[in-house]
Amino acid sequence: MSGIETIKIIVDAEKEAAEMLQKAHTKATEIRKELDMRIKLEREEILKSARKEAAAIIEHAQQDGKLEAAVYEKEAGQKTRQIVSKASAKKSPAVDKLVTLVLEG
Amino acid sequence: MSETSKFTEDILTAAKERSERVVREAETETQHAFEEAKSHMSREADDIIHNAQAEAEAVRRREMSEVRHRLKLEEQVEKSKVLSEVLESTRKRVTEIVNDEGRYLPYLAGYVEIGIRELGLENVTVHLNAVDLKRIDAGKLEREIAKRMQKPVAIEWSKEPIEALGGAIISSNDGKTRIVNTFDERFEALESKLLMEAGKLLFGE
Repeated sequence: MSGIETIKIIVDAEKEAAEMLQKAHTKATEIRKELDMRIKLEREEILKSARKEAAAIIEHAQQDGKLEAAVYEKEAGQKTRQIVSKASAKKSPAVDKLVTLVLEG
Repeated sequence: MSETSKFTEDILTAAKERSERVVREAETETQHAFEEAKSHMSREADDIIHNAQAEAEAVRRREMSEVRHRLKLEEQVEKSKVLSEVLESTRKRVTEIVNDEGRYLPYLAGYVEIGIRELGLENVTVHLNAVDLKRIDAGKLEREIAKRMQKPVAIEWSKEPIEALGGAIISSNDGKTRIVNTFDERFEALESKLLMEAGKLLFGE
């Protein structure tokens, strides 16, 4: 093998090595680029799921609140009717007392 | 293997190793970055859920608070109705007493007596409403007042009727000092006391 042939073989090998390295760098750049997209998609997925769960929590709370309020309203309504009914029964003695206050107080 | 072949093989092996390292490093680096990003996303998601839980609690509280407030107002309205009825009945009952001369006269005498005592004068002018001016026997009333005061009193009966349900205004003869002892005045002066008393009696407040 002549010296020139030897040099050519070495230069070709260097070229091949440089191409190999270049490909590796290109691949590394692609991997990094893909990361941004991957993170974006993952974030969208996770936040979408969280927002869905959040909406369900609030919806559930609204339902719960309405139910609790309805129960409270029913009980409070009964309590008010009882209070008014009891008070109505005491009207006459109350009037007697107030008349005394107005006349003599 | 020739020296040249070995040399080129070394070059390619080194390049391959370096290439693999470049790719591996990129993979490791992105894996770390992804894990870090995921951890951040997880915190963001937790924040969303945490905020939703806080909002849910607020929604529940708001719902109850609105109902409580509305029902409290409705209860107050119902109580006010009963209180108004009682005050109205009281006014009616007092009017009935005023219309019943026999029952009314002792009270009227009492009010005039209080007025005279408060004025601390020997001579006073007493003002009555038009109905009382017509129907009340001034002499009889004067005797009743004198009996209560245990001394004779000089009362001048004003001819000008006052606007009142009943009771009297007792004034000095020059009109400069007056004690107003009408039912209207008594109702007005006692209004808050009457409401408090009625509240206690009717609702135990």
